[in-house]
Amino acid sequence: MTLQVIFLAFFGIAAVWFGVVVFRTHSMVRSALALLFSQTAIGAMFLVMQAEFLGVLQIMMMATEMSVMAIFMVMFMMDPGGMGAMDMTHQKRLSLRAGAVGLVAALAVIWLPDWGPIAATVPSAGEQIKLLGFELLGRSMFIFESAGLTILTAMVAATMVAIAPQSETANKGARDGA
Amino acid sequence: MTIAIVLLAVVVGAYLVAVLERWSVHGQFSLSGPAVSALALLGRESLLARTPDRLFFEAGPILLLVAGLLGAAVIPLAPGLIITDLATGALFLNAALAYVLVALIMAGWGPNGAYGLIGGWRFLGQFIAYAMLIVMPITAVAMRAESLMNTQIVLSQTQLWNIAYQPLGFVLFVVAAMGLAWLPPLDLPSAPGDLAGGVEAEYTGVRLGILRLARMVIILVMASATVTFYLGGWLGPVLPAWAWSAIKTLIVAALMLFGGRYVPRVREARYLAISWKLGISLSLANILLVGVIALVVPI
Repeated sequence: MTLQVIFLAFFGIAAVWFGVVVFRTHSMVRSALALLFSQTAIGAMFLVMQAEFLGVLQIMMMATEMSVMAIFMVMFMMDPGGMGAMDMTHQKRLSLRAGAVGLVAALAVIWLPDWGPIAATVPSAGEQIKLLGFELLGRSMFIFESAGLTILTAMVAATMVAIAPQSETANKGARDGA
Repeated sequence: MTIAIVLLAVVVGAYLVAVLERWSVHGQFSLSGPAVSALALLGRESLLARTPDRLFFEAGPILLLVAGLLGAAVIPLAPGLIITDLATGALFLNAALAYVLVALIMAGWGPNGAYGLIGGWRFLGQFIAYAMLIVMPITAVAMRAESLMNTQIVLSQTQLWNIAYQPLGFVLFVVAAMGLAWLPPLDLPSAPGDLAGGVEAEYTGVRLGILRLARMVIILVMASATVTFYLGGWLGPVLPAWAWSAIKTLIVAALMLFGGRYVPRVREARYLAISWKLGISLSLANILLVGVIALVVPI
């Protein structure tokens, strides 16, 4: 139990530290990957708390998502390598206030509600996957399916917006040819 | 003890994969070849590019090796011979191998060179192409085993190996595995010929040695994952269980290394198009088919 707490604290501090690095570095790629390792540390926290499936899923999903984010950051910023020592922070006053409000809200959520008794035993990892499966295909099915459909629609729409219409490309080709 | 045995198996396996790769590239079978190359790399000067991202440059190859080793940790070589038999083993393998992408982006970005940079980002595109084709066939495998535990997946194939039960999934998985290990014709991040080594271009000496070793481990892990998911893992008559794992893994690795040599390198956009339009449709069909078979025929 003590060991568990030590590891939990370690990964928690690591997550916060990498979160700080996101804003302290000048490089876009470093920033994106620091966010990735912050999220990975949160995944490790799930593992320490014996939520194996969630932990592994978090560690897996973030690797892809943050890498994709990194390439967009590189594409859109003028100084992706940070060689011009660009500052990652802006609107400092507003950010500070928003951060303070967020902190207070998080602490309130932690302390104010009645969380009920602490679970004495954790179901085995295999049991957890089974329970999660029943949850996803039972009570929460509608929520997840509608979320999935919404994301799919957004993906299709985004791709359609990105692709130039056939007629437009054909006309452009004709103009260029002439 | 188990950890030591598995690590030894990984070292020997990676060496044999290196022998096979050398054989497939240069056409000469030499058991001492990789050792000589490794010694030569260790003796060579380890150059550092001008204004590199030093952290990524150093960490990239090491992260690649760690990702490979973590993947190896959940693959059973024989009953009981596995570092950790996680309840989420098949998913954990994916999670570990997702960091191959991160490592290659770091290794490509680190040295501040054009070829490496393009190679690293190319692998991101390649990842978008192969990722679903790794996960969806594994879903079908897990459906039959009714478990994500890798030993359970092997045991579910006692009656009939998955290569016969879901041949479509097998083909999709092997091709995707070749993409993950960037083997020809899907060797876009290194692409000798058009990218001058790509990710490997700026690495020399010991660092290149680690990068190459990590790649051998990843090829080995993908081959043994194929064996675990589709070829009945350690199952087989007469010979001891570990021997079956070893033989099957080496055969799959050899097929991956030699097979791709006869196909021209696939262009990035084309690879993406084929993977998404054809590959994902086929994997969905595979999942449906396996689901129907699993419900109707009890094997």
